[in-house]
Amino acid sequence: MPQLTETFDRPEQATAAARSRGRAKGSRTEFWMLLPSIVVLAIISIFPFLFLIYASFMDYSLSIDAPSFTGLDNWRRVFESDTFWQSWGRTAIFGVAGLALELLLGVAVALLLYHAPKGRNLIMTLWMLPLFVAPVVSGLLWKYLLDPTYGLYNWFLERIGIHTQILGDISTAMPAVILMDVWEWTPLITIIVLAGLQSVSQEPLEAAEVDGASGFQKIRFILLPMVRRMIVVALLIRSMDILRYVDTITIATEGGPADSTKTIGYYLMQVAFRFQDMGTAAALGLTMLFVTMVMGNIFVKMMKKGEG
Amino acid sequence: MALRRKSVYAVLYVVLAAAMLWALLPIVWMALSSVKTQVNMFSMPPKFIFAPTFHTYREMFSAKGNFGEFLTNSVVVSLSTTFISVVLGLMGGFALARGNFKKEKGISSWIISTRMAPIPAVILPLYLMFAKAGLIGTTTGLIFAYTTFNLPFALWMMATFFKDVPVDMEEAAMIDGCGKFEAFRRIAVPTAAPGIVATSILCLMFSWNDFAFASVFSGRGTQTVPVAASLLISQHGIQWGQAMATGTVIIAPMIVCGLAVRKYLVRGLSMGAVK
Repeated sequence: MPQLTETFDRPEQATAAARSRGRAKGSRTEFWMLLPSIVVLAIISIFPFLFLIYASFMDYSLSIDAPSFTGLDNWRRVFESDTFWQSWGRTAIFGVAGLALELLLGVAVALLLYHAPKGRNLIMTLWMLPLFVAPVVSGLLWKYLLDPTYGLYNWFLERIGIHTQILGDISTAMPAVILMDVWEWTPLITIIVLAGLQSVSQEPLEAAEVDGASGFQKIRFILLPMVRRMIVVALLIRSMDILRYVDTITIATEGGPADSTKTIGYYLMQVAFRFQDMGTAAALGLTMLFVTMVMGNIFVKMMKKGEG
Repeated sequence: MALRRKSVYAVLYVVLAAAMLWALLPIVWMALSSVKTQVNMFSMPPKFIFAPTFHTYREMFSAKGNFGEFLTNSVVVSLSTTFISVVLGLMGGFALARGNFKKEKGISSWIISTRMAPIPAVILPLYLMFAKAGLIGTTTGLIFAYTTFNLPFALWMMATFFKDVPVDMEEAAMIDGCGKFEAFRRIAVPTAAPGIVATSILCLMFSWNDFAFASVFSGRGTQTVPVAASLLISQHGIQWGQAMATGTVIIAPMIVCGLAVRKYLVRGLSMGAVK
């Protein structure tokens, strides 16, 4: 009985006690709840990762089943090859140009929608549709639009006096695949930035209005600084995604013409599955994974900062 | 002032309309082309108004074209990986949200790096492992491959959804004698139900849309719809009519799914960083 009285007398303390009891007991439950995921995740991520490291020291060219140890040969071949550096270079161009355009266009549309008095929801819904298009379909569709004989966009270009095979010309193929990426993924930047804009509090904006700030000043000095974190998050995700996908390029250009759209991911697929040189491909893969891991760490740090 | 404001809005909507045209014309053109006759499809100047025909679709779904088989494979593989990932992610995500794990930051970085790992760098070791295990060309292998990105995604998303569920109710239940797992099952899961639906649909979408894994791991009889689309490209040219119809069939259900979870889209696509 005394215990019960105590519970009623000091409910807070009782809750706290129950809470800590729950924690102590719960930690074990939580461990067992997490365990299956961790085990499966280990099998599907750590094991392949270790295997990738192992493969990067092996020679698979004679047999996939019984590779032979070659030490640092694959790594030396990778770092000494021009194609490796050129592919990373093209990936960087693809990434920088693509992200710059996506950022510019994505933020612009987000700002316009933020200021639009009517129809924001409907326009946003239409604007985000390319996000749902499978990258392989995007590649196929753009190949059709740019087809030199039957393409709709090719026909438009011919009307304004541009007669070239967009995807068949080394000077236009890369800009074209960059535009495919921009078409598909700009809405991602818009939805993230718009969500940020909509959570900006009205007070500083009203204060600025009273002080006679112009619309552009409000955007430049209040809205944009407040969504800076969202923009960084969007850019981090997009840059990891650019390394992630090879579908569109595989379908639209196959890395050509004359390697002009051969990014590091496509190069890896070629080395592995066309040249059957798994060891070298493994070394390539590790260079890609390294970049993703660095960006993933920055992302986690940003998440923690956002929570705190 | 009013006039100025009006003209500013006019400019705003004109620019937005141009942006919409850029975003939508390719999709509309694909859908239109999929219901054209060969003649209409290749006529120049391009035709926007014509009598639609569904013969490409009819051909695709007829006994001769084996599109149904591709479609079944896609559905089976996507649903399986989604189920596995969401069930595991549900429990694991709850544990991550509620537990005090010492290595939480390390686990977070690991999960994110696994989710975002470049697909070619994942395909390669899996290929070598699958070759040894005889999993190449099998549905099991492909389900396994998709789980490499769906499980970390589900874990991560469920953790962010459970962090939003107030702990108080679970604690009240535990004071009433409920076990932790019971509290999870009876209180946390129903409260986080919209999050579970959103996570499942996004998992479904990621696997449905994949081409790279499917092109390497699936074989005759286990190929998915995106592979079917790529098979229309051959040395003799591309079957554009079928390609556009296949593309339409691939994206239509995803547009429906994506819009159904619109509210959670930002969260899912920003890995929970933006709510």
